[in-house]
Amino acid sequence: MKKSLVVLIVIVAILAIIGIGIGMSYNEIVTLKEDISNEYSNIDVQLERRADLIPNLVNTVKGYVEHEEKTIEMITSARENLLKANTVDEKAKANEDLDNALNALMVVVENYPDLKANENFINLQDELAGTENRISTARRDYNETVKSYNTKIQKFPTNIIAKIFNFEKETYFEVEESKTENPTVDFS
Amino acid sequence: MKKYNIILMLLFIALSLSINYKVSALVEPTNEFYVNDYANILSEETENYILNNSVKLASATKAQIVVVTVKNLEGQDIETYATNLFRKFGIGDEKKNNGLLILLALEERDIRIEVGYGLEGIVTDGLSGRYLDDYFVPYLKEDKWDEGIKNGYSAFLLLLCEKYNVNIDNINVVQAYSDDDVSDKAMLIAIFTGLVYGFVSNKNKNGKEKNPTLIAIIMIPTNLLIIYLTIKNFSGLNIFPSIALCIMAEIVMSIIGSVIKELIVYWNTPRKRILSNGGYYGGSRSTGSSSGYSGGYSSGSSFHGGGGSSGGGGASRHF
Repeated sequence: MKKSLVVLIVIVAILAIIGIGIGMSYNEIVTLKEDISNEYSNIDVQLERRADLIPNLVNTVKGYVEHEEKTIEMITSARENLLKANTVDEKAKANEDLDNALNALMVVVENYPDLKANENFINLQDELAGTENRISTARRDYNETVKSYNTKIQKFPTNIIAKIFNFEKETYFEVEESKTENPTVDFS
Repeated sequence: MKKYNIILMLLFIALSLSINYKVSALVEPTNEFYVNDYANILSEETENYILNNSVKLASATKAQIVVVTVKNLEGQDIETYATNLFRKFGIGDEKKNNGLLILLALEERDIRIEVGYGLEGIVTDGLSGRYLDDYFVPYLKEDKWDEGIKNGYSAFLLLLCEKYNVNIDNINVVQAYSDDDVSDKAMLIAIFTGLVYGFVSNKNKNGKEKNPTLIAIIMIPTNLLIIYLTIKNFSGLNIFPSIALCIMAEIVMSIIGSVIKELIVYWNTPRKRILSNGGYYGGSRSTGSSSGYSGGYSSGSSFHGGGGSSGGGGASRHF
């Protein structure tokens, strides 16, 4: 066998390995990206569901409480913002605002035992709590995938492929620290 | 040198294991899978009951109901814990996602129903909440773990059986727990009926009703209504005490009704007659009332007899 043929075979083999490597990493990144958009739409579905529940809640509450227009107004506008939001950041922010508004409402509700005992209200509260929990689960799943995706496209050697095919970092669906704080209610 | 390496390796393994443990911090599924009593609060009987029925349900529908009790949640909130546990156990059919997890944390005194995607249509969050309120929490509040879990489990089992249209034998009677299990409406009707009866009842000297048809027209439908309302409200063994309470209310109200009637008579008639009437109902309270009434009630044959119990009639003979 000629020496040059051996060299050629070796080169082809190396190229083939590199090609397969690139192909596999590319596929991996694409899969992750697909997962991300899937999980993002999961969040979206739940956010919408949450927004759908709000009018019902507001109507039920309105039947019982008086002089709480501010709180109700807060919820209604937070809901509208949530429906208007487009980017991940906007949605996370709007969702958080809605969280705060609803928390404020729950504080108010404490003063209305009749409302608290209302079956419809209890039902809505459960539905909302369930949806909130689904949102946070979906968010957790999404963030985890975003994390592994972001790590992947920054790490060697996949970062080269990411550069070549122009994969960009994805945004986390983040909750700000203020979420854990108690909402301030204006009783004036 | 070799020895050193081995020690290092062991150390590394131990470290990675401990890290692993911390990250997951979830209980492992037991061999029984459907029942995992890590808090040790369920009786053998309940465990077998859950296991048997869950197996039956799963073989018929692939839906899985799993009960897990834990001592504590290791600092996590129950929602996260339940979701992670649900996924780790892989509850429900892979494609149908029809699993249901009942998770109880003893120290935190938390309970959660976690539902797979496939069951969300049947077991909505609102329904889960209602079932928790009705079937679990009242027992759990009194530390009746075993009963609470068994009862609530049965409620969900029954629901799934109905929705999937399967029959499983020997599901325990599901019982909504209630401290005061008297239906408000039934009670109101009882009070009203008693009052009207006391007012209308008019007996002759032999203790016979002067106008039995009228009394029957009043008493039969109203009492049937009371029974209906009570049964509709409570699907369990607590029906009887609550009906008994309604009967008592009826009796008391009929006495009050007859007293009011006598008072009206008193105001509207000359003195002489009333003196006799005064004694007339004095005795009525002490005699005849409860026994006669409940007899009539249970046999269903004579609501008059039952009516006789109440205020007006019998007492006249006492005098």
